[in-house]
Amino acid sequence: MVDQAVIREKAKEIVSREDVKHLVGWRKGTFGYRVSPHWVETPEDAEKLIFSPLCSPNLTTYLTLEEKLPLPKGEEPDRRKTALLVKGCDSRAAVQLLTEQGIEKEQVLILGVPCRGVIDQRKLEEKFPEALGGVEAEWDGDKIRLRFPEGEKEIAREELLAGNCLNCRYPNPVWAEEILGDEVEPWSDGKAPGVEELEKASPDDRWAFWEKEFSRCLRCYSCRNVCPMCYCEDCILDRLNPTWVYRSVNYSENTAFHIARAFHLVGRCVGCGECERVCPAGIPLGKLNQKMVEEVRDKYGFEAGTDPESLPFQASYDPQDQEDFIL
Amino acid sequence: MTEKVLQKENWSSFVQALADARELWLPVKEGPLHKFVPYSSEQETPVDLEGYANSSVPPKEAVFPQTETMFRYQTGDQEICPPEAIKERVLLGVRPCDARAMDLVDHVFQWDEDDTYYLDRRKKTALLGLACHEPFPNCFCTSLEGSPGSTQGLDVLMVDLGESYYLRAVTDRGKKILQSVESSLEEASEQGKQAEEIIKKAEGKIGRKVEAEDVPEKLAQLWEDPLWDRISRACLGCGTCTYLCPTCHCFDIQDEVEGYEGRRCRMWDSCMFGEYTLHASGHNPRPSRRERTRNRINHKYHYFVRKFDKIACVGCGRCITSCPVNIDILDILSRVKEAL
Repeated sequence: MVDQAVIREKAKEIVSREDVKHLVGWRKGTFGYRVSPHWVETPEDAEKLIFSPLCSPNLTTYLTLEEKLPLPKGEEPDRRKTALLVKGCDSRAAVQLLTEQGIEKEQVLILGVPCRGVIDQRKLEEKFPEALGGVEAEWDGDKIRLRFPEGEKEIAREELLAGNCLNCRYPNPVWAEEILGDEVEPWSDGKAPGVEELEKASPDDRWAFWEKEFSRCLRCYSCRNVCPMCYCEDCILDRLNPTWVYRSVNYSENTAFHIARAFHLVGRCVGCGECERVCPAGIPLGKLNQKMVEEVRDKYGFEAGTDPESLPFQASYDPQDQEDFIL
Repeated sequence: MTEKVLQKENWSSFVQALADARELWLPVKEGPLHKFVPYSSEQETPVDLEGYANSSVPPKEAVFPQTETMFRYQTGDQEICPPEAIKERVLLGVRPCDARAMDLVDHVFQWDEDDTYYLDRRKKTALLGLACHEPFPNCFCTSLEGSPGSTQGLDVLMVDLGESYYLRAVTDRGKKILQSVESSLEEASEQGKQAEEIIKKAEGKIGRKVEAEDVPEKLAQLWEDPLWDRISRACLGCGTCTYLCPTCHCFDIQDEVEGYEGRRCRMWDSCMFGEYTLHASGHNPRPSRRERTRNRINHKYHYFVRKFDKIACVGCGRCITSCPVNIDILDILSRVKEAL
């Protein structure tokens, strides 16, 4: 585990370097339990950095989100590094981006923070409605300690953790220039809760389940936009000529959208759970993506974003690969 | 003034009486979402008028559907089929901020050409509002001429008194609606005063505020300010804030053709999307999240004010609550105010 003071000191040192543009971390948000991404440009900015079980945002998405606009004539692009604070899953996103050449190694400076899992905001609100009035959280062994203005409360970690954290296999960053704090002991075999139940259901029941979920989709695209792996400049969903997915918001088009996205994430999803966290309609997208993660792991022994030297899943081939799906 | 009382034990006969005469829309809970849907007595989802501070999706959907068929056609044919006629409907349980929002959006759909699709729905939609008891932590309606008991835009205001609801007709249409369901109502006596107290108490619970008077002028001066880079860099460019905003009203129009069956439809669009102002040439006057964020704020707190002399924000706080990365419009406004 890591002390916030250590993170702040390190951040100050990093942003003072000439080859670093800024560091992206987390700070306390503007209300309740919310946390906001925080850009540190000066040593003073570092004072606001925090790291707690409320720090869900996967900041690697900001590596590819920045628009590269044409520069005025004669102006050179800023080639300084972006420094990032990453948890275990976030670091896997960075590795995956690296292996598929979405980012350049020289462009980033990764600082890892071991993580015991982040809080699912819906579980938090359900169990502690007062969290909307303000709360701070910290890990304490197998418990999470919540500090409300009125006093402290403790709860078992698994009662509050986000679904993707319950089955996390990589709580420690797999790739980082430096890891701040002590590593934590992994706690899961990677089997996602809820996925097995769905697998056991009949195809009709599964279809009915997803029909209900996808019908609620508002098509705000927050799942796509928050995803560090969704960085195509020309997304199939935005295409108008041809229009692959109509803009009409209905079950059929919504399903086309979500299934297209799930397929584009095969062997690439790192299971950070951001899609599920940000969905205003609460669609359990993690279950869909996690199923694909498990398929790829069980059939091909591949886990996205765990080895900076590996080839991307869909660009690699092993003569021993299963072929039984080929008709 | 028509003032009535509805005992909660008469709730279902009241709802049924409303639904018998017209299409009735009610807030229901679907997953974690509270939204307004047309009522049917067989529906499975529970009607929930009390378990939420406000619906997560604003009731604008009833007058400005997310996807709306404008007409249907057969490809290669000159004939067009108009959409099905809209029935008279009543929305039950609309929060005062959302009713005010509809009042604001009305300006947009009739300032030059009348938008018949919108206006037809709007004219046929009566709003039975429900005053707020427990404002959400991000509510700030009182900063923008609103209140938990505001009647602007409503036909009837309802106030929850615990065992009963107090109902007050605000418009003639509201009066008629109350008359049509009279059998489930009682005459009000002292309840009006009780309702006023509840509203006042709710007003006191609103914790967030902004003094917005000088914002339009300041926004005009901050066009190129680096402030926008700092505000927008956390933005993911998703449509959550705009889709859940009761005053956002941008749409796109497209033809959707399957086989020979075509339909022209319009659907919500969002100024936060990259394709929003993308020209056919490939040029985009709002090429990055910086310009898009700036547009969202300017549209509500600057352009709309210049055009209609009103701020196009009602302080419902949905954009704050739902933003995945905690971009907070009140924080933006305070930074705008501090910047000059």
